[in-house]
Amino acid sequence: MNAIDTAIRAAAASITVKGLTKAYDAQTVVIPPMDVELKAGEFTVVLGPSGCGKSTLLQMIAGLERVSGGKILIGAREVQDLEPKHRGCAMVFQNYALYPHMTVFENMAYSLKVAGMQKAERTERVAAVAKMLGLADYLQRKPGQLSGGQRQRVAIGRAIVREPGVLLFDEPLSNLDAQLRHDMRVELADLHRRIGATTVFVTHDQVEAMTLADRILILNKGRIEQFDTPKAIYHHPASVFVAKFIGAPPMNILSVTGDGSALRLADGQVVANAPLTGAYQLGLRPEDIVVDGKADGHAVKAKLRFREDLGSHSVLAADLGGSIVRIATPFGAEIADQLELHLNFPTSRLHLFDAATGRAIPGAFGAQ
Amino acid sequence: MTSESTLFSNRWLPALLVAPFMLLIVLFFYVPIFQAFYWSFFLEQPFGGGSMFVGLDNFARVLSDREFWQAGWRTILFMVTGSSLAVLVPLILAVAADRKIRLSLPARNVLVWPKGVAGASIGVVFAFVFNPFVGILAPLNQAFPGIWAPGIDGTDAFITLIAAHVWGGIPFNFVILLAGLQSIPRTMHQAAAMDGAGPWRRIFDVQLPLIMPQLFLTLVLEFTESVTSAFALIDTITHGGPGGATTLLVYKIYKDGFSGYDLSGASTQTAILMVFVILLTAAQFVFLGRRINYER
Repeated sequence: MNAIDTAIRAAAASITVKGLTKAYDAQTVVIPPMDVELKAGEFTVVLGPSGCGKSTLLQMIAGLERVSGGKILIGAREVQDLEPKHRGCAMVFQNYALYPHMTVFENMAYSLKVAGMQKAERTERVAAVAKMLGLADYLQRKPGQLSGGQRQRVAIGRAIVREPGVLLFDEPLSNLDAQLRHDMRVELADLHRRIGATTVFVTHDQVEAMTLADRILILNKGRIEQFDTPKAIYHHPASVFVAKFIGAPPMNILSVTGDGSALRLADGQVVANAPLTGAYQLGLRPEDIVVDGKADGHAVKAKLRFREDLGSHSVLAADLGGSIVRIATPFGAEIADQLELHLNFPTSRLHLFDAATGRAIPGAFGAQ
Repeated sequence: MTSESTLFSNRWLPALLVAPFMLLIVLFFYVPIFQAFYWSFFLEQPFGGGSMFVGLDNFARVLSDREFWQAGWRTILFMVTGSSLAVLVPLILAVAADRKIRLSLPARNVLVWPKGVAGASIGVVFAFVFNPFVGILAPLNQAFPGIWAPGIDGTDAFITLIAAHVWGGIPFNFVILLAGLQSIPRTMHQAAAMDGAGPWRRIFDVQLPLIMPQLFLTLVLEFTESVTSAFALIDTITHGGPGGATTLLVYKIYKDGFSGYDLSGASTQTAILMVFVILLTAAQFVFLGRRINYER
């Protein structure tokens, strides 16, 4: 650990959002009142589909977008009315937004220069960050002469060279190809472990969210669906929205009706015993379904529609009472095409959701 | 790689398609230029008839003429001040319009209108606007009699000329510069704002460097255009006066050729002016053009 790591770790500040709203007019409310607290040094991924308000939230924290109401605190300081430069945030943009007419060195040193830092100190700071990011040999190049991954690293370097209290990422990996995205993800995780900056990372990619985050904040139409660790979000989704959004393939959601003793599908097949009445949504992860197994629960009959062999595992799609259910099975399991499958739904793996609100009903099948 | 032959199967078709345009250029551009250079080595009769080869005598005569050099210096003075202002004023307007300040949307339309006005019309309008008795500066003359007198004072006349030229240059340069400014990605401004640069600092550190290609284009066009397009303004506002204070080379050529019937002298000056403009443009490309970063 060197000086700059320690400095950034020391600068890391918490972010507290109180009653924050964003509305362009009475009809177009992007973010209804939101309350959330991001701890100092925590890596938070804001995840959601396009138009869910995640970028708006990030821009409001950065000061690039005006707030319509509420407060944003960075550390103990109220910042919602401050200029971006007074908030102590640094940002990495999706298209990098490097200054094309400046060298890598000038790009990284620009914020220090604006802040009036002496040239010797500037050079030293940039050199330390460049070394950390493996950019030492490229300092005199222009961004146009760099590869996508290198540009991304310059953008990150430009952000952390100021030793910001908060590091903001706006879908920074979406412009990279698959291999590079994976490499940069690993690098980012490694970087965060070293410098420990408070990080807010906006993405619509669940893999990035699952692998990078300490906690994931899932947004849907500006509302927080769930804010928890990746593990908790995967295993205990708080709503149908979260359940469908996380996991590849996503969780199966079936409409079921309780008759007081059992939950039945539309065609009458019993999928679980439970003393429930009324309409519910039942969730089950593809990898939790057992084919032709003898696990607890009830076996239901389904027709195999097609299968995808992915190498590490196969994904089967089966028709269960008119809706498609996806099942992940070990690769090479001997299942003939167009066969009738007997599916076992282990009760302990079932998730129950309110049919009207889509919110999870915890503990419906005993302790989970 | 795509070669031209894959686009046009018939090798004469491309030639045929550009032929009308080439004909126009040759007829109205290259032939007159050649003619001017040709005549500059001959002594021409004013009303046609025989001409006599005199070698470089015309050049010796023109270059030893004091009036030629005075007109030359005035041309350079007009070129430098006129062009600089004709780029600087639209630049300020474009930066303001790009900021989306109040009224920038109507301004964006209004500022383009002068493009549709002919040079001579601009001249007539400005002759009226700057008229010492009924123009906008007339009240100044009432307070301080004689302070604004473009009809008598050479400097005042020159200022009138430059004002008209700058006004006429606003639309085109404004459009080019505004297009350049608007093509700068929004995130570039945001990145600079995050880096702590305020709006003024961003103009010099981000916006101006990124519109260098557009600035260079407008400057090169302005420099070459200011040499020739001043004619319509001079002819309508000052007629080269008072006392020759606004006689630029282009106007002197016209007077010598069509009032003085010194066709050879006018051709010689035309040739010299043309070579000067070519050298100037070449110099701009050599010294400025190379440093421009066209990458975005």
